[in-house]
Amino acid sequence: MVNLRRRAPLLLAAGALVLASCTSAANVPAVVCVGESTTYLDWLNGDFQPDSPADITEPSSTAGDLLETVRARDNGNGQLIVSTDPNYAPQSFLQEDGTFVGFDIDVATEIADRLGVGIKFETPDWDAITAGSWSERWDISVGSMTITTPRKEILSFTQPYYYTPAYLAASTRSGVTKVSDLPFTLPTGVEATTLTTDANCAEAIESGRTDFDLWISSGTTIDGAIAAGSPMVKIGEPIFQENLAVAIDKSGPPHAALLFEIDKIIGEMHADGTLKALSEQWFEGADLTTDPSS
Amino acid sequence: MTSAVPTAPILAEIEAHQRRARRRFRAQSASVWVVLIGGLGIALWATGNINADFIGTWGPYIVGGAWITILLSVTSIIFATGLAILGAIGRLSENAFINGAASLYVSLVRGTPLLVQIFFVYYALPQFGVALPSIPAGIIALSFNYGAYMTEIFRAGIQAVPRGQREAAESLGMPERLVMRRIVLPQAFRIVIPAIGNDFVAMIKDSALVSTIAVQELLWRASKIGTRHFRTLETLLIAAVVYWLLTILFSYFQEKLERRMARGDR
Repeated sequence: MVNLRRRAPLLLAAGALVLASCTSAANVPAVVCVGESTTYLDWLNGDFQPDSPADITEPSSTAGDLLETVRARDNGNGQLIVSTDPNYAPQSFLQEDGTFVGFDIDVATEIADRLGVGIKFETPDWDAITAGSWSERWDISVGSMTITTPRKEILSFTQPYYYTPAYLAASTRSGVTKVSDLPFTLPTGVEATTLTTDANCAEAIESGRTDFDLWISSGTTIDGAIAAGSPMVKIGEPIFQENLAVAIDKSGPPHAALLFEIDKIIGEMHADGTLKALSEQWFEGADLTTDPSS
Repeated sequence: MTSAVPTAPILAEIEAHQRRARRRFRAQSASVWVVLIGGLGIALWATGNINADFIGTWGPYIVGGAWITILLSVTSIIFATGLAILGAIGRLSENAFINGAASLYVSLVRGTPLLVQIFFVYYALPQFGVALPSIPAGIIALSFNYGAYMTEIFRAGIQAVPRGQREAAESLGMPERLVMRRIVLPQAFRIVIPAIGNDFVAMIKDSALVSTIAVQELLWRASKIGTRHFRTLETLLIAAVVYWLLTILFSYFQEKLERRMARGDR
C-alpha cells in the first residue's frame, strides 16, 4: 500500500508546480517564435536587409548554361527541378496522394510550361535552400523567398513575383490583441526561438506549449493557420514588406540564360494577369502581386 | 524395489501441471497487453483530440511511407552486411595496413552520431563534388553506420567457428582464401544471422533519421502532414504504430530464423 500521508509533501510540491506553471502562462513570455533561416529572424536580430534583384541582362550565348541542361533532361523533352517546402500553406502543401499544390506550385508549373519543359519537385528543408550550395540537386527555388542583401551574395534573384507583408501574431490565450498590450518592445526587448519552419510555431501554440505566445510570419501564413483553426490573432500593422522572387544558386553552373528567361516569363505573367489571378485564387481574393512601395 | 508407486504417471502429471502453469502465464501476460492497449486507446479517444476523419483522409498517405522505410532498411542491411564481411576479415587480418584501416573504420563510425554521418553524406560530400539525391544518401549513411557495428558481430562470428574446422581444411591442402569462403564464412553466417536480424529491426527505427534529408518516408510524411493540419498527435501516432507493427513483424521472423539456426547446435 502506498502511504499517502508520507507522500503528502511530495504531492503538495507537485501540485504547487502545476499551479505555478499555469499562472505563469498568463504572463506573455518575451519570446517570439520564428522559422529558421527566415527574414523574420533577421528582423528580430536587427539584421534585416531587404534588397532588390541585381540587373538581369540577356547573355550573348546559352552554351554551357543551366538552361541547356534543363532543356536536355528527360531525353530532350526538358525538365525543370524546383525546390519546395510542402509545409507552407497556402504557398505549398501536400495532398492526400502525395502531390503538391499551392500558389508557389502553380507559379513554378506555369514557369516550366512557358519554358516548354516538364517539372519535378524536390523537398529539402528551408534552411538548405537559403544556404546555397545546392550541388545541382535542384535548379531553382520558387519558394516565396525574400530578396535580402546577404542572400544576394550566394543566390541570383529574378524580379519579385509577389509581395507579402510580415505580421506579428499572438496566441488567443495570451489575451494580447494589439502591440501596445506587450510589456516589452519589439524587436529589441525579446528573444527569438527558432523552429524548423514558420508553420512549426503555429503548431507549437496549437498543441498548447507555453514557452512563447508570439509569432512572426508572412500575413498569408498566419491567415492560413487561423483559417485552419489555430488559436491566434493577427496583430497590428505589417511589420515590413517582403519582395518574393525565384532564386538560383550562384555556386552552381552558369545560369545567366536561365535567369533571364525566367525573369522574362515572370514579367509576362505580371503583364497578362496570370499572377494576379493565381494570387486571388490562393490568397482569398487578395492581389499581392503589385509592389506596395511603388 | 519395494515402492509400489509407479514414477512415470507422477512425472507426467508434474509435466502437465507445469505446461498448464506456463499456458496460464502466457494467457495472463497476453491479457495484460490487451487491457493496457485497450485502456490507452480509450484514454486517447476520451481526450476528444483524436480526429477519425483526419486519420481516414491522411492515414493511407502516411502509411505509404512505410514502403520507403522498408526499401531503405532492406537495401541498407544488404550493403551493411557486405561492408561488415570485409570489415571483419580486415579486423582479423595479420596485414597491419588492412587491419589498421578496418579498425579505423569501426572506430570512426562507432564514435560519431548516426545523424552526423547522415548530414555529412547529404550536405558535406557535395563540397567534394559528390552530390547524392536523398534516398541514395540515406542508404549510404545507414549502410556505412550499420556496417561498422556488424563488423564486430561478424568478427565474433568468424572467431566462434571452431579452430579445428579451419585446421582440418588446411591440412587437406585448401588454400587460405578457399578455407575462408567455403568453410569459415558459411558457419560464421549461421552464427551471426540472429544478430543481423536484430540489427535489421534496429535499422527500421533508425531509418527515421533520414527524414531530416528530405527522404519522404514514414516520419517525414507524418511530421509534414501533422504540422500542416495541426494534428501532430494523430500523425505521430500513425507513424509510431506502423514502426511498432513493422518491428513486431520482423522480430517474429527473426525469432523463427533464430530457432531454425539453433537447431544445428543440438
